[in-house]
Amino acid sequence: MRNIRAIAFKEFIQVSRDRRTLMLLILMPMMQLMIYGYGINTDVKHLPTYVYDQDRTYLSRRLVDSFTQSDYFTVKVQATSMAQVYSALDKGLAQSALIIPPDFTGDLLKKKGAQVQMIIDGTDSTPATVALNSSQAIINAFMQNEGLIPVQVLPIDFRPRLWYNPDLKSTYFMLPGLIALVLQFLVPMITATAIVREKERGNIEQLLVTPIKPYQLILGKIIPYIFIGIFIATSIITTMHYLFVVPIHGSIVTLFFMTLVYLVVCLGIGLWASTVADNQQQASQLVMFLAMPSILLSGFIFPRESMPLWVKDISYLIPMTYFLQIVRGIILKGLGFFDLIGQVWPLLLMAVVVIVFSIRRFSKRMA
Amino acid sequence: MPGIAISADKLTRRFGKFTAVDEISFEIPYGAIFGFLGANGAGKSTTIRMLCGILAPTSGTGKVGGFDVQTQPEEIKTVIGYVSQRFSLYSDLTVTENLLFYGQIYGLEGTALSGRIEEILKMTGLGTFRDRLSGELSGGWKQKLAIANAILHKPKIIFLDEPTAGLDPLSRRSIWELLYQLAEGGTSLFVTTHYMEEAERCNTIAFISDGKILKIGQPAQLKQDLSRQILEVTCHPLMKASRLFSSLEGVRGVTVYGTTLNLNVNDQKAVEERVRAVAGREGVTVTSIKPIPASLEDVFSDLDSGGQADAKH
Repeated sequence: MRNIRAIAFKEFIQVSRDRRTLMLLILMPMMQLMIYGYGINTDVKHLPTYVYDQDRTYLSRRLVDSFTQSDYFTVKVQATSMAQVYSALDKGLAQSALIIPPDFTGDLLKKKGAQVQMIIDGTDSTPATVALNSSQAIINAFMQNEGLIPVQVLPIDFRPRLWYNPDLKSTYFMLPGLIALVLQFLVPMITATAIVREKERGNIEQLLVTPIKPYQLILGKIIPYIFIGIFIATSIITTMHYLFVVPIHGSIVTLFFMTLVYLVVCLGIGLWASTVADNQQQASQLVMFLAMPSILLSGFIFPRESMPLWVKDISYLIPMTYFLQIVRGIILKGLGFFDLIGQVWPLLLMAVVVIVFSIRRFSKRMA
Repeated sequence: MPGIAISADKLTRRFGKFTAVDEISFEIPYGAIFGFLGANGAGKSTTIRMLCGILAPTSGTGKVGGFDVQTQPEEIKTVIGYVSQRFSLYSDLTVTENLLFYGQIYGLEGTALSGRIEEILKMTGLGTFRDRLSGELSGGWKQKLAIANAILHKPKIIFLDEPTAGLDPLSRRSIWELLYQLAEGGTSLFVTTHYMEEAERCNTIAFISDGKILKIGQPAQLKQDLSRQILEVTCHPLMKASRLFSSLEGVRGVTVYGTTLNLNVNDQKAVEERVRAVAGREGVTVTSIKPIPASLEDVFSDLDSGGQADAKH
């Protein structure tokens, strides 16, 4: 116990003297929060739109207005030719274009079936899909409002409602996930480099001839990073809640307990990396290499539901997959420990396996 | 045997087919300085690692502080101190922080620990640098810190792996003064070194080559026992003479020392005659030829240049 305490204490001193690591620990979570909170906004709004209204009647203007009034489209330019529209789309000045032919009103009045063209830039599928769906909805509403089709009593009154994130704010979805992302990246990185550093600088050589046991060395080295991990998680949760006003519906205690379990997994990964790598550079490269698939396949950005089956199978092996469901479940849905048991047990199992495996491997390496 | 600090009896370590240490035997009493000499890769570090309890011997026995290296490595670690060749304390901790850390690892606590640290800081002269980051110390002070660290728990046995490698003469001298002080207090020191004048300071020295101990004994005795003699030849031009003399019959080796040549010879009289003869023929001026006492370096190079056969009898 005394040995573990001595190592943990000296490790704290070392971290506190390592300015570069400290900066990384404080700046990286904040930077990610700013990027995902302000910068990356997957909510599609105010799509720059060119309108080429060749009809120029009351009705065509009403149609353009209904596009403008929806938050999805912003009319940038009233175009005067098709060439202008095409060029704007090519240059990316417009992401969508509404083209109303000259006989729009005429055809409507003759009940002949008028045509309206919508061109959408499909390069990026996310805003394109949103634009497509919302333009359809705008047209439907327009037809009803203008009395072009009768208001019907439908046999099924379909009333979809969005739960948990009714405004579909991407910050609600992304920011809780950041807890997982930042821990997955930072914790193994600092743990691995801290252990490899002892090897690199020859400190291990001196420790080997002292009465210290390998497990004491590991525990002593890990303890400071558990505190640091909790500090990181707290800073993210606080900023997320107070600055970006993401509500936390579930229990804070459960959230921290599960964060602790996830931290153990991350520490284990770092410990494992330290037994493989010979120097700090290798260790951090290894951690990055492991973090990439986690970020891409865990459902942090891309929905796992749309992945091919075999990729989805792989994602079950990634700790972050479970932890993401847990944090989002607790924060957004207010789920409790037992609601999430299906995600909790794989994570607990991984924590035990990873830490036992790494400690054994480390002890063998040291002896 | 309570008087024996370290003993090895046919201690052997193999790595696969390679025998790093081959049946070495010796005994080191408490209070003695034991110099372990040999080229890089001769088996010095493997021996130290076995004696420190971090590498199990393949065969043979070794005892350190009364504990068996094979069965009691953890007990050994509590009674020894170790100073590695490369500075391996924490360079981002201060002098006192390093001592506090290792003191706790060795089981010291509270006032006993702080008292001991003060004592050591005074003894080594490290007091002035107590709050300095150890990475910012000069090479000599770093080594003193390493020694200070190794004696925190008052071990009676200390292993030092080339403690003065790469240090200036003044630092080396003050480190040796520290080592003598420890030996006087009854501590036995196991020191590896490359420096011959340091080997002279040891009570007993052993030469190891290819895992075998070729020679072991007191420095004075070893020099006296040298079966060859050294002829000091003052002559001109030096390099030409060196080439000529080295091919003479009965000359085992020629070393250039400033303006003289040291010839390692079997038969002093015969070689002297041949030297004068060849010098006269080839136009080399010989000012003087005289036998001189052998140095440890001569002993060492004699062993190294195939003198093993002689060394055995």
